Amino acid sequence: MLNFILKRLAQSGILVLVMSALVFVGMYVVSDPIAVLAGEDFTEEDRRVLAQELGVDKPLIVQYVNFLGNVAKGDFGTSFVYNRPVLDLILERLPATLEVAFMAMFIGLVIGIPLGVYSGLNQKKPTTKAISFMTTVGYSIPNFWQGVLLIMLFAVWLQWLPASGRGDTTEIFGVGWSLFNLDGLSHILLPAMNLAIYKICLQTRLARSGTQEVMYQDYMTFARAKGIGRDRLIRRHLVRNILIPIVTITGLQIGSLIAFATVTETVFSWPGIGKLLLDSIHNSDRPVVVAYLILITLMFVSINFIVDVLYALLDPRIRYT
Amino acid sequence: MSELIKVENLTIAYPMADGEVFRAIDNFSMTVSRGQIVGVVGESGAGKSTIGKATLGLLDENAVIDTGGVHLDNIMVSHLEEHAQVEIRGNKVGYIYQNPMTALNPVLTIGEQIIEAIEANTNKRGAAARDYAIALLQQAEVPLPEERLEKYPHQMSGGLCQRIVFAIAICAKPDLIIADEPTTALDVTVQKAVLDTLVRLTRQENIAIILITHDMGVVSEMCDYVYVLRHGKLVESGPAEQVLQHPKQDYSRELMAAIPRIDHKVERFAVPGGLGQVADRERAIAYLMGRQTEAGEEGQPLLRVRNLSKTFETKVTALKAATSFKAVSDVSFDVFPSETMGIVGESGSGKSTVGRLILGLHTPDPGYEIVYRGREISELKTREEKLAHRKSFQCIFQDPYSSLNPRMSAGENITYPLKAHGMLGKEEARELAGDLMELVGLPRASARKMPHAFSGGERQRIGIARALSFRPDFIFCDEPTSALDVTVQAELLNLMKDLQDQLGLTLLFVSHDLAVVRQMCDRVMVMKSGEVVESGPCDKVLVDPHEAYTQGLLAAMPRFEFAPVA
Repeated sequence: MLNFILKRLAQSGILVLVMSALVFVGMYVVSDPIAVLAGEDFTEEDRRVLAQELGVDKPLIVQYVNFLGNVAKGDFGTSFVYNRPVLDLILERLPATLEVAFMAMFIGLVIGIPLGVYSGLNQKKPTTKAISFMTTVGYSIPNFWQGVLLIMLFAVWLQWLPASGRGDTTEIFGVGWSLFNLDGLSHILLPAMNLAIYKICLQTRLARSGTQEVMYQDYMTFARAKGIGRDRLIRRHLVRNILIPIVTITGLQIGSLIAFATVTETVFSWPGIGKLLLDSIHNSDRPVVVAYLILITLMFVSINFIVDVLYALLDPRIRYT
Repeated sequence: MSELIKVENLTIAYPMADGEVFRAIDNFSMTVSRGQIVGVVGESGAGKSTIGKATLGLLDENAVIDTGGVHLDNIMVSHLEEHAQVEIRGNKVGYIYQNPMTALNPVLTIGEQIIEAIEANTNKRGAAARDYAIALLQQAEVPLPEERLEKYPHQMSGGLCQRIVFAIAICAKPDLIIADEPTTALDVTVQKAVLDTLVRLTRQENIAIILITHDMGVVSEMCDYVYVLRHGKLVESGPAEQVLQHPKQDYSRELMAAIPRIDHKVERFAVPGGLGQVADRERAIAYLMGRQTEAGEEGQPLLRVRNLSKTFETKVTALKAATSFKAVSDVSFDVFPSETMGIVGESGSGKSTVGRLILGLHTPDPGYEIVYRGREISELKTREEKLAHRKSFQCIFQDPYSSLNPRMSAGENITYPLKAHGMLGKEEARELAGDLMELVGLPRASARKMPHAFSGGERQRIGIARALSFRPDFIFCDEPTSALDVTVQAELLNLMKDLQDQLGLTLLFVSHDLAVVRQMCDRVMVMKSGEVVESGPCDKVLVDPHEAYTQGLLAAMPRFEFAPVA
């Protein structure tokens, strides 16, 4: 296991380095920050001064090496547009995205797994057919349109929940969270639901196919033959065994939820990180984009790592060397 | 003595896709008294397991009990509601599952799996349940029971897993234990120990056993009374000795005759072996004989193996040093033309690894010598030489289900390798596939069918036809019949003997079954932990062995010691 962790850390380091280089080159190729930032009345001289200020007048390789040196000192650079440290910008908005993503994942798991296990156990019931129909529908609705529908239903007609914004936040460890007060909760519910609907469908299907497979395993028949009651059979014998594929997919999904919640954040005006990314790409704000993507890479790597460790905990047959 | 179990006119049907009904059990009756060991025997598909499952209410959801039922102590248990069934399961009836490795949940500890059964069926809870679990494991002769509680099933051998399953089955002192093929997955020495434990435990507690098995040796050693089933119907029943020794029905006679015996060798098994059309068979044989290669000289070994070893190594990690495991250690043997050489041993003895080494699927440790037809095979360099070697050197695999390509028809499976080497045109290939199908006893028309449409025995025949298509001189057979029923096995072994006589094939036959080896082989090599224990003619080694290990193997074999039925 220790070996596995060390190997994983080394791999992650290389991965992050390669990623940063790719993003750096990519941003350099697709846009020129001077062209975006310079006013119409800028002279050649003004442009040169601006380029010097931003540090984009040097050759790409020099810029990259400087960037790496600064990162090593904990400095991800300063935004071209906002003229503030990039890390501050990102950390300001990350909690909003994190909490909506985790909330969505939580809803997905808590509703999806029981629905899936139920459908797997009662394959012929009409309720199962209905669930299967609903998951197909949930899969196929476009995310932005679904968001608009949710706003129409819950915010406009029923007027139960606010349509946009983040509401009140509670300070914990110097960061504002919506989850811990009622107004915040009412604001997070709609965007979280919008993200969660797809996850619910996915988890339902995973849990259902897992249940159908595990149910016919010899150890399930033997456990029944031992005289184990239905509750315990499902809780201990079945659910433990179907969790592995669910953990895999959940890991992948959390990553993409955080990284690509942009559509939902836009529809619900949620002040998360997705919107910052879009704006920064638009404005050629290279330091923000690069730092953001490096952070996301780090996050994916650590989520995958956690997933691998969870495997070993869930299935004693898996041991890493 | 009152009847504990009474099965009356039981008929269990499964609706099928085409609207027909399949009767897994057809009007079957039996009785079992306390303390009795009753055998239910038959081949796969006979419906043996269905009886056990009906008793516990564990039938598949789509199964319908058409008539009759199962009574336990005069209560009709086969029709109870699920919650009432839970009361009976484990409590009054213990169940021992066919494959101990899959009967235990892989993600839960042994301790949890025993203790949950104890808590479900007795009034012991917590620490008392744990202590009782340890006592049960001791009773079932599991060494170091306390440590085992923290372990997971995959950390234990099959024999140990089966003992743990026993411990679970007897935890509530049930009246009846249903043992569904309890030793099929185990080695003979383990099988003997496990069965002895089972008999001792049940005699101690006066528990009745329904022993579901296809192994007549086990039946003859254990059972008081026997029911023979075929296609869900009762063929014959009676005291074990009478049924095994003087079967009255044709099918029972056939079944007994198909059992390979260790004590004397028969020319052919007395089973009606399906043979194909004479004309087609002759054409296939003519084709194969026409491609005869120099099969090696009489008196000179066709295959010569010297100092064969194989070490498997695990890599160094931060916490563990590299470990190595010697699977095969300094094995040498010769195989002469047209003879059958056997390799026997229990699981883990390295017998299959020897096969994989000579097939070139693993690379042996340096210093070995494998000479085939006078040439060192590692020195075959050109494509032609390698191809010629492979054509002459074929194999038949253990599992007939996974060794055929499921997306090719039977005929294509047989001739695909030939076509791939451009040795046959399309028409010729079809013709040859048909002939070879007839040669191995399958109708040529079925060459168009896909592998899943064939039974296990038929698939193994296709595997043989595929090996023959190259006109080999040497065939390596890795447990070719261990997945098959006894009558199917007998037919297949007859076929292999016929083909060997007609084509002068040389066979290297790997098996764990001493009786099968006795019937098939001229000479035999006994392996244990990667080493050769002893070797020599079968008549000597398997009749009057020199080594204690071989003697132990023979002693552990359940004997089917009734007079042969001619």
